[in-house]
Amino acid sequence: MSRKCRGRGMAASWYGIARTATIDRAGAWAELDDGGTAKIVTGVTEIGEGILTVLAQIAAEELGVRPEDVTIGDNDTARSPEAAHAGATRQTYMIGNSVALACRDARVRLDAEIADHWGVDSGSLKAFDGEIWAEETNLKMTMEEAVDICKKRGVVPVGSGSFTAHGTGLDPEDGSGSPWQAYVFGCQVAEVEVDIVTGEVQVLGIWAAHDVGRAINPRGVEGQIEGGVVQGLGQALMEDYKLEDGHTTTHGFAKYILPTSLDVPQINSILIEDPDPLSPLGAKGIGEPALVPTAPAIMNAIYDAIGVRITSLPATPEKILAGLVAKREQEGTRHHAAE
Amino acid sequence: MSSLDMELTVNGRAVKRPAKARMRLLDFLRDELNLTGTKEGCGAGECGTCSVFVDGKLVKSCLMPAAKANGATIETVEGLAKRGGLTYLQQAFHKTGASQCGYCIPGMVMAATGALRENPHAGLDEIKERLGGNICRCTGYSKIFEAVELARDVMNGALPVTALDGPGAGASYIGNNVRRLDAPSKVTGALKYAGDMVMPGMLHMQVLRSPVAHALIKSIDISEAEAMPGVECVITADDVPGEDGFGVFVHDQPIMARGRVRYVGEAIAAVAAVDVETAMAALGKIKVEYENLPAVFDAEAAMASGAPVLHDYAPDNIVKHIPIRKGDVEAGFADAELVVEQSYETQPVEHAYLEPEAGLAYVDHDGVVTVISPSQNITHHRHMLAKIIDRPINKVRFIMSPVGGGFGGKEDMIYQGMLALAAMKSGLPVRLVFTREESIISTAKRHPARITYKMGLKNDGRITAVEFRMISDGGAYGLSTEGVMRKAAILSCGPYDIANVKIDTHGVYTNNTPSGAFRTFGAMQAQFATESHLDICAGKLGLDPFEIRRVNMMRSGASTHTKQKLGSVSLGLALEAAEKASGWESGPSVARGGVRGDLGRAGNREPCTLGARIRTSHDVDTKEDIA
Amino acid sequence: MLNCDQYLMPETLEEALAQWVGAPEGSRLLAGGTDILPWAREGRAGHMHLPAIIDISRVKELHGYDVVDGRVRLGANLVFQRFLTSESLRHHLPCMPHCAVWFADDQIREQATLVGNIVNASPAADGTPAIFAMNGTVEIARLDGGSVARRSVAIGDFITGPGGTTLEAGEILTAVACDSMAGYGGAFEKVGQRRSLVISVVCAVGLVKLSPDKKTFADVRLAMGGIGPVPIRLDAVEAFLKGQPVSRKSILAAVKTAGDLVRSRTRREYRSEVIRGFIERAVEDALADCGVALLPPEMKEAVHVVT
Repeated sequence: MSRKCRGRGMAASWYGIARTATIDRAGAWAELDDGGTAKIVTGVTEIGEGILTVLAQIAAEELGVRPEDVTIGDNDTARSPEAAHAGATRQTYMIGNSVALACRDARVRLDAEIADHWGVDSGSLKAFDGEIWAEETNLKMTMEEAVDICKKRGVVPVGSGSFTAHGTGLDPEDGSGSPWQAYVFGCQVAEVEVDIVTGEVQVLGIWAAHDVGRAINPRGVEGQIEGGVVQGLGQALMEDYKLEDGHTTTHGFAKYILPTSLDVPQINSILIEDPDPLSPLGAKGIGEPALVPTAPAIMNAIYDAIGVRITSLPATPEKILAGLVAKREQEGTRHHAAE
Repeated sequence: MSSLDMELTVNGRAVKRPAKARMRLLDFLRDELNLTGTKEGCGAGECGTCSVFVDGKLVKSCLMPAAKANGATIETVEGLAKRGGLTYLQQAFHKTGASQCGYCIPGMVMAATGALRENPHAGLDEIKERLGGNICRCTGYSKIFEAVELARDVMNGALPVTALDGPGAGASYIGNNVRRLDAPSKVTGALKYAGDMVMPGMLHMQVLRSPVAHALIKSIDISEAEAMPGVECVITADDVPGEDGFGVFVHDQPIMARGRVRYVGEAIAAVAAVDVETAMAALGKIKVEYENLPAVFDAEAAMASGAPVLHDYAPDNIVKHIPIRKGDVEAGFADAELVVEQSYETQPVEHAYLEPEAGLAYVDHDGVVTVISPSQNITHHRHMLAKIIDRPINKVRFIMSPVGGGFGGKEDMIYQGMLALAAMKSGLPVRLVFTREESIISTAKRHPARITYKMGLKNDGRITAVEFRMISDGGAYGLSTEGVMRKAAILSCGPYDIANVKIDTHGVYTNNTPSGAFRTFGAMQAQFATESHLDICAGKLGLDPFEIRRVNMMRSGASTHTKQKLGSVSLGLALEAAEKASGWESGPSVARGGVRGDLGRAGNREPCTLGARIRTSHDVDTKEDIA
Repeated sequence: MLNCDQYLMPETLEEALAQWVGAPEGSRLLAGGTDILPWAREGRAGHMHLPAIIDISRVKELHGYDVVDGRVRLGANLVFQRFLTSESLRHHLPCMPHCAVWFADDQIREQATLVGNIVNASPAADGTPAIFAMNGTVEIARLDGGSVARRSVAIGDFITGPGGTTLEAGEILTAVACDSMAGYGGAFEKVGQRRSLVISVVCAVGLVKLSPDKKTFADVRLAMGGIGPVPIRLDAVEAFLKGQPVSRKSILAAVKTAGDLVRSRTRREYRSEVIRGFIERAVEDALADCGVALLPPEMKEAVHVVT
């Protein structure tokens, strides 16, 4: 038997988007501002997932401006509308859609004035990347001019949006209910190498296919998948908060072991877009679901490599080696004698 | 010298000022020079958020006494680029999306800068090694590697500078890799997290935490601490004016222990003083009398009759039981040709966001109690705090500071109440910054789970019935346990069309560190079991892992375990995509790693062993037989 | 938190010794300081308030290294990173780059010293087994009537157990000396809970010198850490291999002479399993460093030379 054994495993997963078994809601305000810029106000902010950029992209698309023109006022219970919490894979779905709705509302105000100014039907107006035009005409101006005209006509182009996701509670007896209106599905394949001298497992490759509805920022989605996979890998192989009679023995990062740059596989993301029919954007979410299949895919790959089934996480070198010893004893062979 | 006369060069400027003998270089940079781009993530040299150059050598400034830097030339993240600009490397981080929460990023940028200074032609393996002392919890490192390689190639002229530009508008801003708007502030260290913020007259808080797991508090004597010069106030549960209690689903946790402690690390009292040292010294003067109570540290033991009870409202120690019933499992098992039983276990996991908890509270000119913190749920926190401090809801304001990683761990209002009380009592702004150790002992973990699984199948792989039981240690307080049990139950048996299921999840109180929200909210524990179990069953039936899932997968219009009728189901697409992209070779799930033909193809990295720089320095590739 | 009333940075050894001998009880001496700062935290020693810290990192005569009569003398301020960056050290101590690259990380290696690693006498120290393998001795200085008195102690006599050494009050460890291993191939093996910046569960160091025709083992040095209170030199394995032909068969036969080496009370079974593989691997990797590659185990007895 070679000292390094490779194998592959896979796992599938599913996940619900936004809050569970309840009605979820979020609000946002939008304003087309002087200079053709925009203000978006909503009650929640970045926790690292890239939501500010996603909201700026959504606002830019809906308002016809550029993402860098968008200022996001956020995260203050006294200054912004409720967006509820930053979690539950709900940011793009809940806040993204409420921002889209708010922007559309602001555009209705702007478009009515510009259509009237040009004498065209407001339905013919299109705007993108800082310009607004009437389709099938030569009428075109910058968004800066459009906002100026709108304001000179006495109208501030503001809007608001509220988005709802309709989940229902579970029956207390049999659990029946419709907890989410949007579901995502995923599948990951892991390739590992197990060192049978030390029991160390290296994950070499992960292929992660995830439905996200619609990828607002594909690179951002990849970042979420990569981060989720590595957290899953940490839980699969090394992380372990230990307690002895209620006292931790893993006080700091010297004892609580996290993956570093030397532990991560190549992560190959495949984005699947099965749009959500119940929301304006069609986007769903990815923050949490990316983590779900990683640990079982790795355990299945370890089994494939060495025939040892780890059912208790994490799969530490010690557990792997103990598993190999038990397997050898069971098979009545000792590989050290094989030569 | 009890104080040091520091004279050094920082980011090209001469600096001369005294410092305390105890100061680390990190403290000197942050507290004396306000260079807060250098972060403190662990204080023990394990995470790299504090990396700086000292005389051209990259070091961890939390491990360097300030005295050692005396006379040296220091370069921090703020000094890498000209003001208002970005280095090629910082531009590359911006371009690739290498920053997420951003808290590790200044240190990561420094480490990457150091790597390319040491070896401008470093290959990926060497880059990884040189970043090996810097932890990132968000990105999975992949985009960081991409950024460093991109910057290296631009700096070496292998790629044009335009390779660092963002994408154009294209036809739409949806589906466009627009560069992150917040990245420039993160790669330069300009972004202020709560622990970086200061206000004039600001006090510093330290928290006294329980050394015992379960006890009655007979008395707390704060008089000596309160009398200390520099101490502005000491708070305990007695200072709570309203209805004390917070939690995501059940409000069972007081701001500070009220008459009883239920876990090691629970807050007992807090001191606000002119500096951290004084506040720490004052903690030592607080006298607490405990009367130990029997404690329980195991979820199943806590469910047994006669176990110590943690909360009077839950005499059975059950936080939440979620049952799901569909079809007739006994009939399903009777119909099965194979029945497989197995148990699974998952461990408690720490969120380990690089930004430890921090917050700053003050009462504004209109009497509005304001808390700035990286809270993941300011809406709910405002509701709860208004009740706890008995103020109208519009007299309570929460501002969400940039979150240096959350993953669910910052949904709990674990310290904001103490800050509000101290600000109200002292009339001054109060800041609290957790140490890493404090963050680890006192905040929630991922629920550990014990799962017993029984699955019945036909020989063709079709699942006829599943019985799934999960017991989870929720720790001493409820936090998100109810929701976690619900999500775990709903998603437990995976995206498979199963006519007969019996699912039970139980969240249980124990005297362990509380469990709470953590990315996937119970779903990973449950689906780890399901996905492991399916492979075991596939092995026994001689089926390929993809095949057994395809046989059972939900399709559009399927009914879920909670009998919800689904619309479009994309699972088939996901299976196909992963199978195709990985070049999966079909075969039974029977440890065929030694014989399968799909290993080692593109999409893998090379196995890693340390020493890339040693190997490349005496490169050897010709071989000759001598035996 | 580490607090201190005084932070002293002597510039000569005499000054350092005088300050050290006169320091109030409870004072500490440090060079890199990378161990004490994490030590003074919750979950370890907790908050520490020291009367004085004496930092010897500016004592010039403890800087650098020299090579005299086949012995390499490493000053107390020599940091781990130099084993990777100094061509001369790589030449004389061929196992040390491999050891250093596994020690902590690039940044800590710029501050952390080999001598600090030795003085702390942690059973899991990465640097110490190599010093055992290279017949190391430590040099110790103290003040004797106003002048510096020195003594040398073999590494095996210096480290007495976890955290324990024969260093006496008022003494400073000034240098460690060991054999120049120029012409040997070096290797270092380590397993922890991950690869970077982690404490060893088991580590091993190997040094191999070949006969001129590269067909026999002329000399072998092996030592292990993490498996008992102090590092262990594998005398029996070394003695067995000397003069043996370079082959997998020799190595496997040598492994059998190792006996039960684990003295640790925890993870005994795991450590025993790993040790056998690490002896093989350390010898093989040291051979590879000499330019000799044994083929994978399943391809028996063929040997490759890499030029």
